[in-house]
Amino acid sequence: MPVSPDPSAIEEMPLPGQGLAVAAESLYLINLLLLPGLAFLALLWLYQRHRATAPPLARQHLRQTLSASLWAGVLLIIANLLILILGGYDKASIWVMVILYFTTVHATLVMLGILGLARALAGQPYAYPLVGKLLP
Amino acid sequence: MQLQYKSQAVAKPYFIAAIALFAGQILFGLILGLQYVIGDFLFPAIPFNVARMVHTNLLIVWLLFGFMGAAYYLVPEETETELHSPLLAHVLFWVFLIAGVLTVAGYLAVPYATLAELTGNELLETMGREFLEQPLPTKLGIVVVALAFLYNIGMTLLKGRKTAITLILLMGLIGLAVLFLFAFYNPSNLVKDKYFWWWVVHLWVEGVWELILGAILGFVLLKITGVDREVIEKWLYVIITLTLVTGIIGTGHHYYWIGPPGYWQWWGSVFSALEPIPFFALTIFCFNMVNRRRRQHPNKAATLWALGTGVMAFLGAGVWGFLHTLAPVNYYTHGTQITAAHGHMAFYGAYVMVVLTMISYAMPILRGREVNPERSQVLEMWSFWLMTVSMVFITLFLTAAGILQVWLQRIIPNPQPFMAVQDQLAMFYWMRWLAGVVFFAGLAVYLYSFFAKDKPEAIEAGEAHPSVT
Repeated sequence: MPVSPDPSAIEEMPLPGQGLAVAAESLYLINLLLLPGLAFLALLWLYQRHRATAPPLARQHLRQTLSASLWAGVLLIIANLLILILGGYDKASIWVMVILYFTTVHATLVMLGILGLARALAGQPYAYPLVGKLLP
Repeated sequence: MQLQYKSQAVAKPYFIAAIALFAGQILFGLILGLQYVIGDFLFPAIPFNVARMVHTNLLIVWLLFGFMGAAYYLVPEETETELHSPLLAHVLFWVFLIAGVLTVAGYLAVPYATLAELTGNELLETMGREFLEQPLPTKLGIVVVALAFLYNIGMTLLKGRKTAITLILLMGLIGLAVLFLFAFYNPSNLVKDKYFWWWVVHLWVEGVWELILGAILGFVLLKITGVDREVIEKWLYVIITLTLVTGIIGTGHHYYWIGPPGYWQWWGSVFSALEPIPFFALTIFCFNMVNRRRRQHPNKAATLWALGTGVMAFLGAGVWGFLHTLAPVNYYTHGTQITAAHGHMAFYGAYVMVVLTMISYAMPILRGREVNPERSQVLEMWSFWLMTVSMVFITLFLTAAGILQVWLQRIIPNPQPFMAVQDQLAMFYWMRWLAGVVFFAGLAVYLYSFFAKDKPEAIEAGEAHPSVT
């Protein structure tokens, strides 16, 4: 009679698509923290390559991270440029706004990525609040 | 519910004292906050420098009470044996409490210079340095308490089971005691003085205290999630390695402008830029463990505090630390309200919250039940949100004040003097004070939650004590 597998071992086995989900969440975070642009391109490539064939868990994480990355680009780059263009650099109030805006938005986006990565590591789906829907 | 080991009960007075001193710290924080905008508020009874000293010293003392209480609670359970000497733990509690209260009373009762004279500072001059203002007898008392405490914990560990959690905790506690010895080294050369002063201050909060934080959080997560010990231990090893690798040389971010060689600007910038990484890992650790939990622990409040610790420690210590840690940025921001913003959120997120996590988990058991009644937990979770959200606002207002301060004092072509700039920051100081009042309200709700009982109809409906699933 075959020996039944250890239940804790089953739980530790990665789910289908979990590796890809972790990779997507990691690239989202690397894009924000270490290699902006390059990591996004890698995420885009991963999305293009696996979006049709990946297991549902991976597909969900790929879609969410790509959408959140696009929103991050809008929120951090375009919005910041707009503030600077409209107000110029030579006012204290502009600096107060820009630094507070950049810090809070960037930290929030990173925190969402941490939650997403923790979910991916646990083999669970994660929907980014607000920034999880792809741009129109 | 019974304690697993009777000697764990010694943790209870430590936790009660910690909470009482916490309340005192916040009260003095509110006094200070008002003194920023109403300069002579409570003067001359409580001058600004005294209020500040009491605010920061109470923080350190109550956190130490919390760490000791946490150690006395978790070590018997981890080592699977009774504490070596519960009596010694009780004696040390009273020694430490009396020394702490007398010290604060001394700060408030007599001028600081008189206190130095009365307490024999001329025998070994250790007073007068920020955070290490304690008179010589208090400092000696801290050493005696720390050594006897380490003896008690060490002997318990020797006779019992050794786990990664207890070993990391012990490493942190030994580091805490050893590094405090630099409080006795006070050279007349100002550069050397500040250089080694940071060995206590920085290497405590960005070094060994993080080990204590990791051990306490690991213990609570182990209990409330039921995740394999092996998994938790692996995470802890990674986190403490990252902490020590980045934090020790990261001390260099304090050496930029105080006289040590210029290479510290590189070493300090590079290593302290890496310091958010252990906090990043800590946050993933907390959420990952809760996501992988094998049981739904009924203590929802403790779970919330544990998750909050990860998030707020990352934001306060990691993000707000990084904000002003690179030498070229720090050249402008050094010693401004940006530092105060970072200090407030980092201390709250990393150390206040981890002690409250432990209290939230252990206190109900110390009071003879597995978890608090539903209403009490709801109130505690309200207090979590009130204190945490108000701390976020305190940090944001102080950051705004700091940016404006840098601009007016260090950027514009005709920089203004310090006090002239302070006047222009008043709006942010008022908003910070209001956020502080909300924090105090959160603390009041927290204190009340210990006495809240479920309404009779809820008890009849059986909602009061949700069972473990």
